[in-house]
Amino acid sequence: MGDVNMSRVNEMTPLERAAAMSQGKAVDRLPCNPNVANGVARVYGCKISEFNRDAKTLAAAQIAAYRRFGYDSVRIFTDLFTLCEAMGAEVKFPDDDTADLLKPAISDIKDIGRLQPVNPYKDGRLPVQLDAMKYLIDEVGHEVGCSGAVVGPFTNAFFLLGVDNTLKQIIKSPEAVHALCRISLETCKIFSEAVIKLGLTPTISEPMSSCTVVSPKTFREFSAPYLQELVDFIKSKGKGVIMHICGDTGNIWKDIAAMGVSGFSIDNVASLIECKHAIGHQVRILGNVDPGGVVYCGTPLDVRLKTLEGIAECYDSPKGYTPMSGCSLPVETPFANIQSMMDTVREVGYPVMPEKVEAMIADCKNQMAVL
Amino acid sequence: MRSQEELLKALSDCVVDMEDELVGEVAQEYVTAGYPALDGILKGLVDGMQKAAALYEQEEYFIPELLVCSEAMYNGLEVLRPHLESAGSQEKHKVVIGVVEGDTHDIGKNLVRIMLETAGYEIYDLGRDVPLQKFVDKAKEVQADVIAMSTLMSTTMPGMKRVIEMLEEEGIRKNYKVIIGGAPISPAFANKIKADGYSANAVEAVTLVDRLLQG
Repeated sequence: MGDVNMSRVNEMTPLERAAAMSQGKAVDRLPCNPNVANGVARVYGCKISEFNRDAKTLAAAQIAAYRRFGYDSVRIFTDLFTLCEAMGAEVKFPDDDTADLLKPAISDIKDIGRLQPVNPYKDGRLPVQLDAMKYLIDEVGHEVGCSGAVVGPFTNAFFLLGVDNTLKQIIKSPEAVHALCRISLETCKIFSEAVIKLGLTPTISEPMSSCTVVSPKTFREFSAPYLQELVDFIKSKGKGVIMHICGDTGNIWKDIAAMGVSGFSIDNVASLIECKHAIGHQVRILGNVDPGGVVYCGTPLDVRLKTLEGIAECYDSPKGYTPMSGCSLPVETPFANIQSMMDTVREVGYPVMPEKVEAMIADCKNQMAVL
Repeated sequence: MRSQEELLKALSDCVVDMEDELVGEVAQEYVTAGYPALDGILKGLVDGMQKAAALYEQEEYFIPELLVCSEAMYNGLEVLRPHLESAGSQEKHKVVIGVVEGDTHDIGKNLVRIMLETAGYEIYDLGRDVPLQKFVDKAKEVQADVIAMSTLMSTTMPGMKRVIEMLEEEGIRKNYKVIIGGAPISPAFANKIKADGYSANAVEAVTLVDRLLQG
């Protein structure tokens, strides 16, 4: 499996790079994470539905994609519905596409009391996910950071009660939504603990907390308290937290930084440079090449330009910067575009020389003008 | 007895203030008083929804607020609609809307539908996870002016392109304005698949459709 990419033969491993960088020693390049999600199935040559039942395949596909591109983080993440499914929601599993929520665990707030926290070794696909994490860290944990995706408590709550219904209950039955988030949080903590026991680091995906969906006020009232508790819990086990929230997040950046996360991954609709100015002194910033419009639909040259522009804006962020896609990449993203992001970061090297990056940007634009 | 003006304002306020339970009583009072239902809808409920949309644009309201406002509008409509005089309704522009096959997330689509309805368009809502051929068939059947497609998932974006290709293959692409939207969609993608337009949110979608149909 995993045809080794020649461009990374002489590279540091991601762990060597991270360690050297944190000690202020010389490194070869910035860390980079194109954020290949279920697209790893295309690299490995399997169907996405195999990830739902076969832990070895799930891990092997992640490893194959990591070996091919040499990015700086590998993660077991298939979809957002693993926790809600383990609590009773029904999930649809297309043969070769990402899973989707079919029916929430409950349809009425009066049933919130019937929800139970998960048993991560027994419920739904959680045992498959955990086994895959174990295979992953056994195989590549010595060279690259391995993480396990945990859906945030607020977002998972939506999948327990149904998205439309939960949106309405935020206004009509605040107490019920709090009760829902509380039980959701218990599950998040239990699963995070299982991830940490295997030696991996949980990452938190909290898309429903986005200002594209709810107001900062709603975020502060219904999401932040539970998210904070989850972050504190993970940190108490000795792990740093990387959080991703899709969509617009500008008005809650300061809240997120104040939670004590170590990294925040931002969507392409949010401004990288504004994020740097707002919280770059507190957290590492990761992002934010447009996964759909650029990495999926664009050319390798488009990806190169956007990657360079991100670096130019954020390379000097005080707590560090990782070029990344703004969200998980679509399954059918061309490999050449993923490769382009990695190659661009390799070519920029480290320390980043802004004049060099500007020259590379100008060169990209010239090439585009000719086309 | 409240005046028509007072009741119109009360209807509008019910929608803006998310009074989805109170609105039915107010609408009933309005009808009982014998005021025209069409005014109640346009100058009451729709006015309220437009105010809610303005609050959304100002980032005072977000999706939860907009959803409850629209619920209030629909609850009011349920009371007023049976009292509409059928005459005098001018021909409306028709919009076929749906979430493309493979995706079941329809909040965004529903909000666009509500806003377009509020703006006076006739909507044919195909729902979610809609087979691609159905967009084409329905647009032909109702002689639509606009086909609006939405998706939240990047995995289903190619379906939008396919629908446009299907229209081209049948030689009827020019008959329709095709607009797309949804979280992973960008103006660049809309250009790439030769859609006529893209909007970032439900309120913008109305401006977009207005503009496309004028041009």
